[in-house]
Amino acid sequence: MAENEVVERQFTHNWKLYGIVLVLTIIGELIGVRSFRVGPGTALLLPMLYALVIGMFLGPRFIKIASERDMSDASPLIVLSVLILVAKLGTTIGPNIPQLIGAGPALLMQEFGNLGTLILAMPVAVLLGFKREAIGATFSNAREGALAIIGDVYGLDSPEGRGVLGVYICGTLFGAIYNGIMSGFVASLNVFHPMAIGMASGVGSASMMSAAGGAAAAALPESADLVLTFAAASNLVTSATGLYMMIFIGIPLANFYLRVLTGGRE
Amino acid sequence: MIKPMHAIQIFVIVGLITLVGNWVGMDQINPIDAAMGMLILLVLVFIGWWLSQALPINLPPIVFVSILGILATTPWTPGSAWILSHTGNISFLATTTPVLAFAGISIGKDLDKFMELGWRIIVVALVVFTGTFLGSAVIAQVMLRLTGQI
Repeated sequence: MAENEVVERQFTHNWKLYGIVLVLTIIGELIGVRSFRVGPGTALLLPMLYALVIGMFLGPRFIKIASERDMSDASPLIVLSVLILVAKLGTTIGPNIPQLIGAGPALLMQEFGNLGTLILAMPVAVLLGFKREAIGATFSNAREGALAIIGDVYGLDSPEGRGVLGVYICGTLFGAIYNGIMSGFVASLNVFHPMAIGMASGVGSASMMSAAGGAAAAALPESADLVLTFAAASNLVTSATGLYMMIFIGIPLANFYLRVLTGGRE
Repeated sequence: MIKPMHAIQIFVIVGLITLVGNWVGMDQINPIDAAMGMLILLVLVFIGWWLSQALPINLPPIVFVSILGILATTPWTPGSAWILSHTGNISFLATTTPVLAFAGISIGKDLDKFMELGWRIIVVALVVFTGTFLGSAVIAQVMLRLTGQI
Protein backbone atom coordinates (compact mmCIF):
# COMPACT_ATOMS: atom_id res chain seq x y z
CA MET A 1 0.00 0.00 0.00
CA ALA A 2 2.76 2.41 1.01
CA GLU A 3 4.58 1.52 -2.18
CA ASN A 4 1.48 2.13 -4.26
CA GLU A 5 1.21 5.54 -2.69
CA VAL A 6 4.69 6.49 -3.86
CA VAL A 7 3.98 5.34 -7.42
CA GLU A 8 0.72 7.26 -7.40
CA ARG A 9 2.33 10.48 -6.11
CA GLN A 10 4.79 10.27 -8.93
CA PHE A 11 2.34 10.24 -11.77
CA THR A 12 -0.27 12.54 -10.31
CA HIS A 13 2.30 15.13 -9.21
CA ASN A 14 4.47 15.28 -12.31
CA TRP A 15 4.18 19.04 -12.84
CA LYS A 16 6.73 19.08 -15.64
CA LEU A 17 4.53 16.67 -17.61
CA TYR A 18 1.48 18.89 -17.16
CA GLY A 19 3.62 21.80 -18.33
CA ILE A 20 4.67 19.93 -21.47
CA VAL A 21 1.04 19.03 -22.25
CA LEU A 22 0.00 22.66 -21.75
CA VAL A 23 2.67 23.82 -24.20
CA LEU A 24 1.76 21.09 -26.76
CA THR A 25 -1.90 22.10 -26.44
CA ILE A 26 -1.10 25.76 -27.02
CA ILE A 27 1.15 24.98 -30.01
CA GLY A 28 -1.48 22.65 -31.50
CA GLU A 29 -4.31 25.15 -31.07
CA LEU A 30 -2.24 28.04 -32.42
CA ILE A 31 -1.45 26.12 -35.61
CA GLY A 32 -5.20 25.42 -35.75
CA VAL A 33 -7.34 23.45 -38.18
CA ARG A 34 -5.89 23.28 -41.67
CA SER A 35 -7.82 21.78 -44.52
CA PHE A 36 -6.94 21.21 -48.13
CA ARG A 37 -8.88 19.67 -50.98
CA VAL A 38 -7.70 16.41 -52.49
CA GLY A 39 -9.81 15.08 -55.35
CA PRO A 40 -13.43 14.73 -54.22
CA GLY A 41 -12.64 15.06 -50.51
CA THR A 42 -10.95 17.29 -48.00
CA ALA A 43 -7.96 16.43 -45.85
CA LEU A 44 -8.16 17.89 -42.35
CA LEU A 45 -5.21 18.51 -40.05
CA LEU A 46 -6.40 19.09 -36.48
CA PRO A 47 -4.68 20.54 -33.38
CA MET A 48 -4.79 17.13 -31.68
CA LEU A 49 -2.78 15.63 -34.52
CA TYR A 50 0.04 18.16 -34.11
CA ALA A 51 0.04 17.62 -30.33
CA LEU A 52 0.20 13.86 -30.87
CA VAL A 53 3.00 13.93 -33.41
CA ILE A 54 5.16 16.50 -31.60
CA GLY A 55 4.58 14.61 -28.33
CA MET A 56 5.89 11.41 -29.93
CA PHE A 57 9.28 12.99 -30.62
CA LEU A 58 9.85 14.61 -27.20
CA GLY A 59 11.60 11.54 -25.78
CA PRO A 60 15.28 11.11 -24.87
CA ARG A 61 16.19 9.85 -28.34
CA PHE A 62 14.91 12.92 -30.17
CA ILE A 63 14.10 16.34 -28.70
CA LYS A 64 15.07 15.17 -25.16
CA ILE A 65 12.40 17.15 -23.32
CA ALA A 66 10.39 14.26 -21.89
CA SER A 67 12.25 11.77 -19.67
CA GLU A 68 11.52 8.04 -19.50
CA ARG A 69 9.53 8.81 -16.36
CA ASP A 70 7.44 11.50 -18.04
CA MET A 71 6.64 9.07 -20.85
CA SER A 72 5.47 6.32 -18.51
CA ASP A 73 3.58 8.80 -16.27
CA ALA A 74 1.68 10.04 -19.33
CA SER A 75 0.09 6.66 -19.93
CA PRO A 76 -2.34 6.50 -16.94
CA LEU A 77 -3.13 10.19 -17.44
CA ILE A 78 -4.59 9.50 -20.91
CA VAL A 79 -7.31 7.36 -19.37
CA LEU A 80 -8.27 10.07 -16.87
CA SER A 81 -7.95 13.09 -19.15
CA VAL A 82 -10.04 11.47 -21.89
CA LEU A 83 -13.06 11.57 -19.56
CA ILE A 84 -13.49 15.32 -20.17
CA LEU A 85 -13.68 14.61 -23.92
CA VAL A 86 -16.21 11.83 -23.27
CA ALA A 87 -18.37 14.11 -21.08
CA LYS A 88 -18.40 16.74 -23.83
CA LEU A 89 -19.31 14.06 -26.38
CA GLY A 90 -22.23 13.00 -24.14
CA THR A 91 -23.56 16.56 -23.99
CA THR A 92 -23.56 16.77 -27.79
CA ILE A 93 -25.55 13.53 -28.09
CA GLY A 94 -28.19 14.26 -25.42
CA PRO A 95 -30.08 17.02 -27.30
CA ASN A 96 -30.43 14.75 -30.37
CA ILE A 97 -31.95 11.78 -28.56
CA PRO A 98 -35.51 12.48 -29.89
CA GLN A 99 -34.35 12.44 -33.54
CA LEU A 100 -32.44 9.23 -32.88
CA ILE A 101 -35.49 7.53 -31.42
CA GLY A 102 -37.51 8.71 -34.41
CA ALA A 103 -34.97 7.46 -36.91
CA GLY A 104 -36.20 3.91 -36.78
CA PRO A 105 -34.98 0.33 -36.57
CA ALA A 106 -33.11 0.21 -39.89
CA LEU A 107 -30.91 3.01 -38.70
CA LEU A 108 -30.18 1.21 -35.44
CA MET A 109 -29.59 -2.17 -37.06
CA GLN A 110 -27.10 -0.88 -39.59
CA GLU A 111 -24.83 0.06 -36.71
CA PHE A 112 -23.99 -3.63 -36.63
CA GLY A 113 -22.66 -3.04 -40.12
CA ASN A 114 -19.70 -1.34 -38.51
CA LEU A 115 -18.65 -4.84 -37.54
CA GLY A 116 -17.96 -5.33 -41.25
CA THR A 117 -14.80 -3.46 -40.35
CA LEU A 118 -13.65 -6.35 -38.23
CA ILE A 119 -14.73 -9.13 -40.58
CA LEU A 120 -12.88 -7.70 -43.58
CA ALA A 121 -9.91 -6.01 -41.95
CA MET A 122 -8.80 -8.49 -39.29
CA PRO A 123 -7.72 -11.20 -41.79
CA VAL A 124 -5.81 -8.58 -43.77
CA ALA A 125 -4.08 -7.37 -40.61
CA VAL A 126 -3.17 -10.93 -39.62
CA LEU A 127 -1.85 -11.69 -43.11
CA LEU A 128 0.33 -8.58 -42.92
CA GLY A 129 1.87 -9.97 -39.75
CA PHE A 130 0.10 -7.93 -37.08
CA LYS A 131 -0.56 -9.64 -33.78
CA ARG A 132 -2.24 -7.86 -30.84
CA GLU A 133 -2.00 -4.64 -32.88
CA ALA A 134 -4.75 -6.10 -35.09
CA ILE A 135 -7.27 -5.82 -32.23
CA GLY A 136 -6.85 -2.06 -31.92
CA ALA A 137 -6.53 -1.55 -35.65
CA THR A 138 -9.65 -3.39 -36.77
CA PHE A 139 -12.24 -3.48 -33.94
CA SER A 140 -13.75 -0.18 -35.12
CA ASN A 141 -13.00 2.60 -37.56
CA ALA A 142 -10.72 4.15 -34.93
CA ARG A 143 -12.16 7.56 -34.17
CA GLU A 144 -11.80 9.42 -30.84
CA GLY A 145 -14.15 7.12 -28.92
CA ALA A 146 -12.12 4.10 -30.00
CA LEU A 147 -8.93 5.71 -28.67
CA ALA A 148 -10.68 6.30 -25.34
CA ILE A 149 -11.79 2.67 -25.13
CA ILE A 150 -8.49 1.06 -26.12
CA GLY A 151 -6.68 3.49 -23.79
CA ASP A 152 -8.98 2.36 -21.02
CA VAL A 153 -8.86 -1.37 -21.65
CA TYR A 154 -5.26 -1.93 -22.84
CA GLY A 155 -3.46 1.44 -22.57
CA LEU A 156 -2.43 3.42 -25.64
CA ASP A 157 1.21 2.32 -25.21
CA SER A 158 0.23 -1.35 -25.66
CA PRO A 159 0.29 -3.22 -29.00
CA GLU A 160 -3.49 -2.73 -29.19
CA GLY A 161 -2.93 0.99 -28.55
CA ARG A 162 -0.40 1.26 -31.38
CA GLY A 163 -2.87 -0.44 -33.71
CA VAL A 164 -5.73 1.93 -32.96
CA LEU A 165 -3.47 4.99 -33.09
CA GLY A 166 -2.03 3.90 -36.43
CA VAL A 167 -5.47 3.63 -38.04
CA TYR A 168 -6.58 6.79 -36.22
CA ILE A 169 -3.70 8.76 -37.75
CA CYS A 170 -4.41 7.33 -41.22
CA GLY A 171 -8.10 8.22 -40.75
CA THR A 172 -7.29 11.78 -39.74
CA LEU A 173 -4.91 12.22 -42.64
CA PHE A 174 -6.80 10.64 -45.50
CA GLY A 175 -10.01 9.08 -44.06
CA ALA A 176 -12.22 11.80 -45.48
CA ILE A 177 -10.62 11.62 -48.92
CA TYR A 178 -10.79 7.85 -49.09
CA ASN A 179 -14.39 7.67 -47.81
CA GLY A 180 -15.38 10.30 -50.36
CA ILE A 181 -13.86 8.42 -53.28
CA MET A 182 -15.22 5.05 -52.12
CA SER A 183 -18.77 6.17 -51.37
CA GLY A 184 -19.09 8.07 -54.66
CA PHE A 185 -17.88 4.96 -56.44
CA VAL A 186 -20.15 2.51 -54.58
CA ALA A 187 -23.14 4.84 -55.02
CA SER A 188 -22.53 5.00 -58.78
CA LEU A 189 -22.74 1.19 -59.01
CA ASN A 190 -26.50 1.43 -58.25
CA VAL A 191 -26.37 -1.76 -56.19
CA PHE A 192 -27.57 -0.09 -53.00
CA HIS A 193 -30.61 2.09 -52.40
CA PRO A 194 -29.73 5.77 -51.79
CA MET A 195 -31.06 5.47 -48.23
CA ALA A 196 -28.64 2.59 -47.58
CA ILE A 197 -25.76 4.55 -49.10
CA GLY A 198 -26.70 7.49 -46.89
CA MET A 199 -26.73 5.37 -43.74
CA ALA A 200 -23.41 3.80 -44.67
CA SER A 201 -21.90 7.29 -45.04
CA GLY A 202 -22.52 8.09 -41.37
CA VAL A 203 -19.49 6.41 -39.85
CA GLY A 204 -19.25 8.48 -36.67
CA SER A 205 -16.81 11.10 -37.88
CA ALA A 206 -18.11 14.44 -39.09
CA SER A 207 -15.40 14.90 -41.71
CA MET A 208 -15.71 11.36 -43.09
CA MET A 209 -19.50 11.63 -43.10
CA SER A 210 -19.38 14.95 -44.96
CA ALA A 211 -16.99 13.57 -47.55
CA ALA A 212 -18.81 10.25 -48.02
CA GLY A 213 -22.29 11.78 -47.94
CA GLY A 214 -21.26 14.66 -50.19
CA ALA A 215 -19.67 12.39 -52.78
CA ALA A 216 -22.61 9.95 -52.76
CA ALA A 217 -25.08 12.83 -53.07
CA ALA A 218 -23.10 14.11 -56.05
CA ALA A 219 -23.16 10.65 -57.61
CA LEU A 220 -26.93 10.32 -57.08
CA PRO A 221 -28.19 13.87 -57.78
CA GLU A 222 -31.90 12.95 -57.89
CA SER A 223 -31.67 11.49 -54.34
CA ALA A 224 -29.14 13.94 -52.91
CA ASP A 225 -31.30 15.13 -49.99
CA LEU A 226 -32.26 11.59 -49.05
CA VAL A 227 -28.60 10.54 -48.96
CA LEU A 228 -27.54 13.51 -46.85
CA THR A 229 -30.44 13.20 -44.39
CA PHE A 230 -29.70 9.56 -43.71
CA ALA A 231 -25.96 10.21 -43.58
CA ALA A 232 -26.44 12.80 -40.84
CA ALA A 233 -28.93 10.66 -38.90
CA SER A 234 -26.70 7.59 -39.12
CA ASN A 235 -23.67 9.59 -38.04
CA LEU A 236 -25.63 10.70 -34.99
CA VAL A 237 -26.69 7.14 -34.15
CA THR A 238 -23.10 5.96 -34.59
CA SER A 239 -21.78 8.62 -32.24
CA ALA A 240 -24.46 7.73 -29.69
CA THR A 241 -24.22 3.94 -29.83
CA GLY A 242 -20.65 3.55 -31.09
CA LEU A 243 -19.02 3.52 -27.66
CA TYR A 244 -21.25 0.75 -26.37
CA MET A 245 -21.03 -1.16 -29.64
CA MET A 246 -17.23 -1.15 -29.39
CA ILE A 247 -17.04 -2.04 -25.69
CA PHE A 248 -19.63 -4.79 -25.59
CA ILE A 249 -19.33 -6.25 -29.10
CA GLY A 250 -16.29 -4.88 -30.94
CA ILE A 251 -13.51 -5.72 -28.47
CA PRO A 252 -14.76 -9.17 -27.35
CA LEU A 253 -15.45 -10.15 -30.97
CA ALA A 254 -12.05 -8.87 -32.11
CA ASN A 255 -10.31 -10.98 -29.45
CA PHE A 256 -12.32 -14.06 -30.41
CA TYR A 257 -11.74 -13.54 -34.14
CA LEU A 258 -8.00 -13.05 -33.68
CA ARG A 259 -7.80 -16.31 -31.71
CA VAL A 260 -9.70 -18.13 -34.45
CA LEU A 261 -7.57 -16.68 -37.27
CA THR A 262 -4.28 -17.41 -35.54
CA GLY A 263 -5.32 -20.82 -34.28
CA GLY A 264 -5.29 -19.68 -30.66
CA ARG A 265 -1.70 -18.43 -30.71
CA GLU A 266 -2.60 -14.80 -29.93
CA MET B 1 -6.21 2.59 -7.18
CA ILE B 2 -6.27 6.35 -7.52
CA LYS B 3 -7.54 8.36 -4.57
CA PRO B 4 -10.54 10.62 -5.28
CA MET B 5 -8.51 13.66 -4.26
CA HIS B 6 -5.80 12.85 -6.80
CA ALA B 7 -8.37 12.14 -9.50
CA ILE B 8 -10.02 15.52 -8.86
CA GLN B 9 -6.62 17.18 -9.02
CA ILE B 10 -5.89 15.62 -12.42
CA PHE B 11 -9.36 16.46 -13.77
CA VAL B 12 -8.98 20.09 -12.68
CA ILE B 13 -5.47 20.44 -14.17
CA VAL B 14 -6.50 18.90 -17.50
CA GLY B 15 -9.67 21.02 -17.39
CA LEU B 16 -7.54 24.16 -17.02
CA ILE B 17 -5.23 23.09 -19.87
CA THR B 18 -8.34 22.48 -22.02
CA LEU B 19 -9.64 25.96 -21.16
CA VAL B 20 -6.35 27.48 -22.32
CA GLY B 21 -6.54 25.50 -25.59
CA ASN B 22 -10.18 26.54 -25.97
CA TRP B 23 -9.01 30.16 -25.62
CA VAL B 24 -6.01 30.26 -27.95
CA GLY B 25 -7.70 27.89 -30.44
CA MET B 26 -10.15 28.35 -33.27
CA ASP B 27 -13.14 29.66 -31.31
CA GLN B 28 -11.10 31.88 -28.94
CA ILE B 29 -13.49 31.57 -26.02
CA ASN B 30 -12.41 33.50 -22.94
CA PRO B 31 -11.70 31.05 -20.06
CA ILE B 32 -13.92 33.10 -17.74
CA ASP B 33 -16.90 32.62 -20.08
CA ALA B 34 -16.10 28.94 -20.48
CA ALA B 35 -15.38 28.25 -16.78
CA MET B 36 -18.94 27.25 -15.87
CA GLY B 37 -19.14 24.88 -18.84
CA MET B 38 -15.89 23.22 -17.78
CA LEU B 39 -17.08 22.99 -14.18
CA ILE B 40 -20.22 21.16 -15.39
CA LEU B 41 -18.11 18.74 -17.47
CA LEU B 42 -15.77 18.15 -14.53
CA VAL B 43 -18.71 17.36 -12.23
CA LEU B 44 -20.01 14.81 -14.79
CA VAL B 45 -16.49 13.39 -15.12
CA PHE B 46 -15.97 13.04 -11.39
CA ILE B 47 -19.37 11.45 -10.70
CA GLY B 48 -18.91 9.04 -13.61
CA TRP B 49 -15.39 8.13 -12.53
CA TRP B 50 -16.50 7.69 -8.93
CA LEU B 51 -19.41 5.44 -9.99
CA SER B 52 -17.06 3.22 -11.98
CA GLN B 53 -14.88 2.80 -8.88
CA ALA B 54 -17.67 2.48 -6.31
CA LEU B 55 -20.16 0.24 -8.12
CA PRO B 56 -19.55 -3.51 -8.09
CA ILE B 57 -20.04 -3.67 -11.91
CA ASN B 58 -16.75 -3.75 -13.79
CA LEU B 59 -17.31 -1.15 -16.53
CA PRO B 60 -14.85 1.51 -17.70
CA PRO B 61 -15.50 5.08 -16.48
CA ILE B 62 -16.18 6.24 -20.06
CA VAL B 63 -19.46 4.29 -20.04
CA PHE B 64 -20.70 6.13 -16.93
CA VAL B 65 -19.38 9.53 -17.97
CA SER B 66 -20.93 9.33 -21.45
CA ILE B 67 -24.30 8.20 -20.08
CA LEU B 68 -24.28 11.02 -17.52
CA GLY B 69 -23.43 13.52 -20.28
CA ILE B 70 -26.35 12.26 -22.38
CA LEU B 71 -28.81 12.18 -19.46
CA ALA B 72 -27.85 15.71 -18.40
CA THR B 73 -28.66 17.15 -21.81
CA THR B 74 -31.75 15.36 -23.19
CA PRO B 75 -34.60 17.78 -23.98
CA TRP B 76 -36.59 16.17 -21.16
CA THR B 77 -33.94 16.86 -18.53
CA PRO B 78 -34.88 19.88 -16.40
CA GLY B 79 -32.22 22.56 -16.83
CA SER B 80 -30.64 20.93 -19.90
CA ALA B 81 -30.89 24.21 -21.85
CA TRP B 82 -28.85 25.94 -19.13
CA ILE B 83 -26.27 23.14 -19.13
CA LEU B 84 -25.96 23.25 -22.93
CA SER B 85 -25.64 27.03 -22.96
CA HIS B 86 -22.51 26.60 -20.82
CA THR B 87 -20.99 23.37 -22.21
CA GLY B 88 -21.45 24.92 -25.66
CA ASN B 89 -18.57 27.25 -24.74
CA ILE B 90 -16.17 24.30 -24.69
CA SER B 91 -15.34 23.21 -28.22
CA PHE B 92 -15.15 19.46 -28.79
CA LEU B 93 -11.84 19.80 -30.62
CA ALA B 94 -10.35 21.64 -27.63
CA THR B 95 -11.11 18.64 -25.40
CA THR B 96 -9.19 16.32 -27.74
CA THR B 97 -5.86 18.18 -27.87
CA PRO B 98 -4.48 17.61 -24.32
CA VAL B 99 -5.53 13.94 -24.43
CA LEU B 100 -3.60 13.33 -27.63
CA ALA B 101 -0.65 15.28 -26.20
CA PHE B 102 -0.52 12.79 -23.32
CA ALA B 103 -0.92 9.98 -25.85
CA GLY B 104 1.93 11.28 -28.01
CA ILE B 105 4.32 11.60 -25.06
CA SER B 106 3.43 8.12 -23.89
CA ILE B 107 3.92 6.56 -27.35
CA GLY B 108 7.34 8.23 -27.49
CA LYS B 109 8.81 5.36 -25.55
CA ASP B 110 7.61 2.81 -28.12
CA LEU B 111 8.32 4.90 -31.17
CA ASP B 112 10.40 2.14 -32.81
CA LYS B 113 7.58 -0.35 -32.46
CA PHE B 114 5.17 2.28 -33.75
CA MET B 115 7.28 2.95 -36.84
CA GLU B 116 7.37 -0.79 -37.53
CA LEU B 117 3.64 -0.58 -38.31
CA GLY B 118 4.71 1.37 -41.40
CA TRP B 119 2.95 0.93 -44.72
CA ARG B 120 1.11 -2.17 -43.46
CA ILE B 121 -1.06 -0.03 -41.15
CA ILE B 122 -2.08 2.12 -44.13
CA VAL B 123 -3.31 -0.98 -45.96
CA VAL B 124 -5.22 -2.11 -42.86
CA ALA B 125 -6.72 1.39 -42.42
CA LEU B 126 -8.04 1.41 -46.00
CA VAL B 127 -9.64 -2.02 -45.50
CA VAL B 128 -11.09 -0.78 -42.17
CA PHE B 129 -12.79 2.18 -43.84
CA THR B 130 -14.05 0.02 -46.70
CA GLY B 131 -15.40 -2.61 -44.28
CA THR B 132 -17.23 -0.03 -42.17
CA PHE B 133 -18.90 1.47 -45.22
CA LEU B 134 -19.84 -1.74 -47.01
CA GLY B 135 -20.96 -3.50 -43.81
CA SER B 136 -23.38 -0.69 -43.00
CA ALA B 137 -24.61 -0.44 -46.59
CA VAL B 138 -25.36 -4.18 -46.79
CA ILE B 139 -27.24 -4.32 -43.48
CA ALA B 140 -29.13 -1.09 -44.22
CA GLN B 141 -30.17 -2.46 -47.61
CA VAL B 142 -31.37 -5.75 -46.10
CA MET B 143 -33.21 -4.03 -43.25
CA LEU B 144 -34.93 -1.57 -45.61
CA ARG B 145 -36.09 -4.54 -47.72
CA LEU B 146 -37.27 -6.52 -44.72
CA THR B 147 -39.23 -3.60 -43.28
CA GLY B 148 -40.76 -2.93 -46.71
CA GLN B 149 -39.31 0.57 -47.11
CA ILE B 150 -37.84 -0.11 -50.54
